[in-house]
Amino acid sequence: MTDINLNDLLRGYRSNPFEERDFMTPHSGVITFLVKEGQVVNGPGGKWSHKPGTALYMLERERNIRKVTATCGGEVAKIMYELEGGFVEAGVRVLSVRHKLAKDEIIDRILTQVLYIFCAPERARYFLAPEIASKLEKQPQASLFVRPGDEVIIMSLMKRDTIINYDGASGVIYKTYFEPGNLVEQEAPLLGICPPNKLPYVQKVIHRINNEWED
Amino acid sequence: MGKERVLIANRGEIAIRIMDACKELGLDYVVVYTPEDEASLHAALAKEDDVGGLKRAFRIASYKDPNEIFSVADQSDCTAIHPGYGFFAENFRFARRAQMRSRPLVFIGPRWEVIKDLGSKINTKRVARSLNIPVIPGSDGPIYNEIEAESLAEELFFVQKEQGLRHPSVLVKASAGGGGMGIEEVFHLDAFRRVYRRIQNYAKRQFGDDGVLIEQCLRDYQHIEVQLLCSRHGEVIHFGTRNCTIQSAGRQKRVEVAPGFDPAVVEYPFDARAVLDRMIAYSIRLARHVGYDSVGTWEWVVTRDGSPYLLEVNTRIQVENGISARIARIGGKAGYPSLIKEQIRAAMGEKLGYRQEDISFEGTSIELRIVAEDTRRGFRPWCGVITRFEFPDAAWAQVYSHVPRDRSYNIPTEYDPNLALAIIWGQDTDEAKTRTLEFLNGVAIEGKDAQGEAVIHNLAYLSGRIEDIFKF
Amino acid sequence: MQMDQRYMKDSGKLLGQLVDRISYLTDIKADPGWKGLGELMGRVEAMRQSIYELDEASIFEEIDKIEDRLSFLEHLAAEGLTPAEIVNIARSLQRFTMSDVLENVYDSFAELGGDGECNVDPAVVVARATISRCVKNKTYSHQVMVIGHEKGRGEEYRNGGCARPWGNAKALRYMKVAETEGIPIHFFIFTPGSFPVEDYPGAAQQIARNLYAMARLRVPMVSFISEGGSGGAEAIGLTDLRLMGSRGYYSVISPEGAAAIEGKIREGEKLPSGLVAHCAKQLKLTAEDNLRLGTIDRIVGEPPLGARRDDYAFFRRLRYELIRATDEIVLKTKSFRAFRAYALKMQSAEKEGVPEDFDLVINWDLTETEIERLLELRSRKYRAMGNGFYLEERRPSLLGLGKAKELASQSYYEIRYGLLRSHQRNVMKVIEEVSSEGSVLLSKVTRPVKAAYEFVFPQPERLPRGERSETPERRSIFAEEWEQYVSPLANEDRTVSCPNAAKYSCLDLWVPDLYGEFCGVCPSCGHHFPLEYRWYLEHLFDKGSVEEFNSNIVSINSLGFEGIQARLERDTKKTGRHSSMITFDARIKGIRLVVAMLFSDFRNGTVGAAEGEKFVRACDRARITRRPFLSYVHTTGGIRIHEGTLGVIQMPKCTMAVREYIESGGLYIVVYDNNSYAGPVASFLGCSPYQFAIRSTRIGFAGPRVIRETTGEDVPPDYHSAKNALKRGHIQGIWDRREFRKNLHEALMTMGGANLYYK
Repeated sequence: MTDINLNDLLRGYRSNPFEERDFMTPHSGVITFLVKEGQVVNGPGGKWSHKPGTALYMLERERNIRKVTATCGGEVAKIMYELEGGFVEAGVRVLSVRHKLAKDEIIDRILTQVLYIFCAPERARYFLAPEIASKLEKQPQASLFVRPGDEVIIMSLMKRDTIINYDGASGVIYKTYFEPGNLVEQEAPLLGICPPNKLPYVQKVIHRINNEWED
Repeated sequence: MGKERVLIANRGEIAIRIMDACKELGLDYVVVYTPEDEASLHAALAKEDDVGGLKRAFRIASYKDPNEIFSVADQSDCTAIHPGYGFFAENFRFARRAQMRSRPLVFIGPRWEVIKDLGSKINTKRVARSLNIPVIPGSDGPIYNEIEAESLAEELFFVQKEQGLRHPSVLVKASAGGGGMGIEEVFHLDAFRRVYRRIQNYAKRQFGDDGVLIEQCLRDYQHIEVQLLCSRHGEVIHFGTRNCTIQSAGRQKRVEVAPGFDPAVVEYPFDARAVLDRMIAYSIRLARHVGYDSVGTWEWVVTRDGSPYLLEVNTRIQVENGISARIARIGGKAGYPSLIKEQIRAAMGEKLGYRQEDISFEGTSIELRIVAEDTRRGFRPWCGVITRFEFPDAAWAQVYSHVPRDRSYNIPTEYDPNLALAIIWGQDTDEAKTRTLEFLNGVAIEGKDAQGEAVIHNLAYLSGRIEDIFKF
Repeated sequence: MQMDQRYMKDSGKLLGQLVDRISYLTDIKADPGWKGLGELMGRVEAMRQSIYELDEASIFEEIDKIEDRLSFLEHLAAEGLTPAEIVNIARSLQRFTMSDVLENVYDSFAELGGDGECNVDPAVVVARATISRCVKNKTYSHQVMVIGHEKGRGEEYRNGGCARPWGNAKALRYMKVAETEGIPIHFFIFTPGSFPVEDYPGAAQQIARNLYAMARLRVPMVSFISEGGSGGAEAIGLTDLRLMGSRGYYSVISPEGAAAIEGKIREGEKLPSGLVAHCAKQLKLTAEDNLRLGTIDRIVGEPPLGARRDDYAFFRRLRYELIRATDEIVLKTKSFRAFRAYALKMQSAEKEGVPEDFDLVINWDLTETEIERLLELRSRKYRAMGNGFYLEERRPSLLGLGKAKELASQSYYEIRYGLLRSHQRNVMKVIEEVSSEGSVLLSKVTRPVKAAYEFVFPQPERLPRGERSETPERRSIFAEEWEQYVSPLANEDRTVSCPNAAKYSCLDLWVPDLYGEFCGVCPSCGHHFPLEYRWYLEHLFDKGSVEEFNSNIVSINSLGFEGIQARLERDTKKTGRHSSMITFDARIKGIRLVVAMLFSDFRNGTVGAAEGEKFVRACDRARITRRPFLSYVHTTGGIRIHEGTLGVIQMPKCTMAVREYIESGGLYIVVYDNNSYAGPVASFLGCSPYQFAIRSTRIGFAGPRVIRETTGEDVPPDYHSAKNALKRGHIQGIWDRREFRKNLHEALMTMGGANLYYK
């Protein structure tokens, strides 16, 4: 957690603000594509992200047709057309979207180098400790202060839940980097914590990115 | 049996055992695997069999999603589904759907009605009682009324005192609970009301149903299972008994032995053989009553005074089916039978073709479950990479494992860290025990976890428990 | 120079007036190009621009010319006013407002609960005022409470006269004040509708509370409607006498709203003006229409193009009408003969225009017995509304018997319960014995009738299960315990996804499981998929205990709304029913109760005259038989717009019945399900002290689209969820469908207890 060279980082992102994201089938079924290569698709929208993104493809299983929608916006880069109309297994890459990083995503990424990052000790599923989760559910913007020794996260591994105590610097949970219940790789960031004395610096970084990054 | 194709809706060693059974019966098969199980031997073996343009291994999102199973079954033209154990094995909805869907599939297991009837312990208890089969004294169903509950508790304490038990107690359980949640033991009638209210509150909060079960708390008992095999044609055959008393902290079985008791090595305060026969007779009575038509296990407890109580019925093939088969001989046939094969045959509507008189038993068989777990720290599962896994090669030992031996294997974090099942046979109990220890000495497991620490396994624990076999 | 300036000022003023008149006419016609109106306006504007360059004579000449033309056009417009144009008049910024009324009709007033912008809700104005009359050149004043909507002159804070929930709460507070003080209330309705937000106390809830209170408010009430927009109007509209301006409108929905629904216009798309005009005509929203339908009592004449802010003659007329209306209400409670004499006299006096003088002073104070009579008359008035706008099919063999039965049971229940009140406790035990004997007798008498009332359903279709379970011995040994009604929805081999799958990782559900064993509930997240109403009839009540009554009351196309006849016929054919309301007697674990059920398959559970009448009769049946009364709302889309204000007045009508039921000691429970919205929720459902919702219900006043279009703000996706309704205090609890029967029984036992049948 040291000062960073923001200019270099921003320059790096500016030269290539794109990221190719793969879309895998969530389950098996017969696939029908609804988009074409080169088409621009939207991610979820609306004030509460309640409007689903563009429908990418249909997956029919047991006479239930499910429309799989884009989880991020961008240009459809590659479609496995050879799968069209056929049966696909679960977890098969069926298309990819070239996604342009939005300002918020740039901020999130750069902050991983500014904040104190609490990483996943093992490849496992993670959940926020119930107390924290319920607080965040009621008030998504609430700033939660954590101290070393606090129970912050529950690791679910081999069907067993282990409570993980926080062992970094005291501070406010600034960012949650994982979806509760999803598989997280070892050493991947879980939480971004901002110690109180770093707060002005973090705000300065955000402010600068906000000013200098154009979507 | 023609063009039957069986979808194996399971993983690990049971998937491999079902695969083998299918091949031996001349049936085609298809397996499913999840992305986490990509490296499992069951998927690898099936892929090796991918010849003649028929795909035999399908990747699915989850073993627990029935939609995935049926989707693959239709896609691969399967005609039957073997659920193995766990997952869908005792799920009557799954069996019902298999049978009722517009493209029906044979569910290799009992009829769904039977699974449903015997799926609830309360129902089982009710039927058993109506057939004069002994069950653990207690309530027939959930009790909602405090006065009713207390008078039942009073009766249970009285009965135990009559039997001369020194520390009588009753268990108060949330009827909707399970897995050890919401259970308390009461030692005095005075304390009962308080505990009852506590459990009732807990049940209402947790499960939204304040029904409470009350039963006598049994201590010092042996856990005995009766293995039955029935067909659609009314044949009911038993394959003797097993003793599964040795269990880990989480009530997980680790060492099982067939037969259930051996008066030759242990002195019992009751006529062991007669008690086993009684349990078998009761089990058959219940099986006939409900119209049972597959393999199944009747679980019993036998207290120190030799009284058997029916616990529940497992309407599936069990992990430990191998030891019962191992000591059985069917007259006129070479070797010992495979219960999995018999189960498939029964499900396909075949007649068993033999009678109880044709079955005889020989020797003692012990099953070991080799698991990567820390037996000294609450049987905590271990996960990491297995780099070496070897075991002795002997005619009296079969090992079933999904861990590949020619390459290192990452234990998936999603499932239990079971490594292998070993079935040891001996002419008598002493020989079986000796061979078991000999086998265990020859097993080699190496590996390390994410932090580089060495693999933790339960081999020493298993060796330590062999002496306890059959003992109260 | 001085002369010049005065002349400039005068002509400027005249031109200004012309501009107002032209723009007023443009508003009415909603067409700047009508008969050269735009060009006329151009001429006026041009003169205003160049007023210093023109000479006096030519200016006046031009003004006269324009004036002539304009008068001609006004005359022309007045002759053929369409309903849509009347709506435009009522909405015009130049129309008189609440404050004009306060200033010109009343002598003095003091605003209560706020002042201008500093206000609980500036859209609702409450004032304590005096109104006076001349009798033989002497002036007599009356104290009144005045409550009305203030549209203002387009100021944003007035919210266009859309009362916010707390505005209606303010109105209710001062109604209670008037009741305490014993002074009459005059209501002025100038609202396009209520502001559809759910913030506490909630649009629907507050309207329901107002209606419930007004049903038995112990003072005379008069209302005057200029712009009567549905529920917003009802919030202060349940009065003893309803007046309406001859150029006002009173409607169940705005013509634009109706057009959007009828034309299935998507959000954001432009409404075809022809369709709007067509709907305005179909909705029967003019004063004449409403008078004919009996939804108002009298029309207050306005000038042909409507009264504007400076129409003092109209204000004089309005004062006269308000005094006369209040007089009549008061007189009716005293002696009917006096009332008739008064009414005749007024009628003859009115022949020569609004009389200057009243012949007599009527004291507006009422005695206790007069108040009782006032309430009695109000009840009768609202109960009679909408009668004749549904069809009651005759069932000759039954009619006589049914009446006899009702009479018989009424006296029976009066004996059973009525006599006991005084020393209930002491004789409770004795009575129970007696009454059980009595019920045996009664059932003997009514047995043949009962058979004819029997509620017969077609046998439920069963899963293919039946065909497959080959021999009886192959079935489950518990088969009998599983026997139950299975929704026909279950009869399909496919799966569906739970809408919460992304959040709770619910697996896809196999339809036969979902609609069979799971009762339409996702086992992992508890989401409730909709089920047909029949499922509830089969699962909620004791087997065979459901007996329908009044199924012969038929919904008709009372306004002759185009295209509705066919839709009614289609729904009748589809459902085998004649209205969206089913009323029946039933039992839950032995408790007898009366149930009114709105269901979705018939016109989306909307309420019209037939539904309202059935509800009132069910409510009365529960009152007479002293049984608990349950309203189960399978779905309601609100008031049926195709019945116009005949639908709207079901709100006060049914609330009146509920109030009388509850006051006589009844236990009224409401359970919402699926989508429960609008008018019914804002009246006879929302006024229940005990309201519950089945999980996954959406409850509210207006749907998200209407809220977006009215407030310009989007609402969160869970805005109308049962959980939020519970948070806002609208409902008392959320029930799982699978526990419905158990919870309902518990609620009856808890809320009713020993007094379940008589308090």
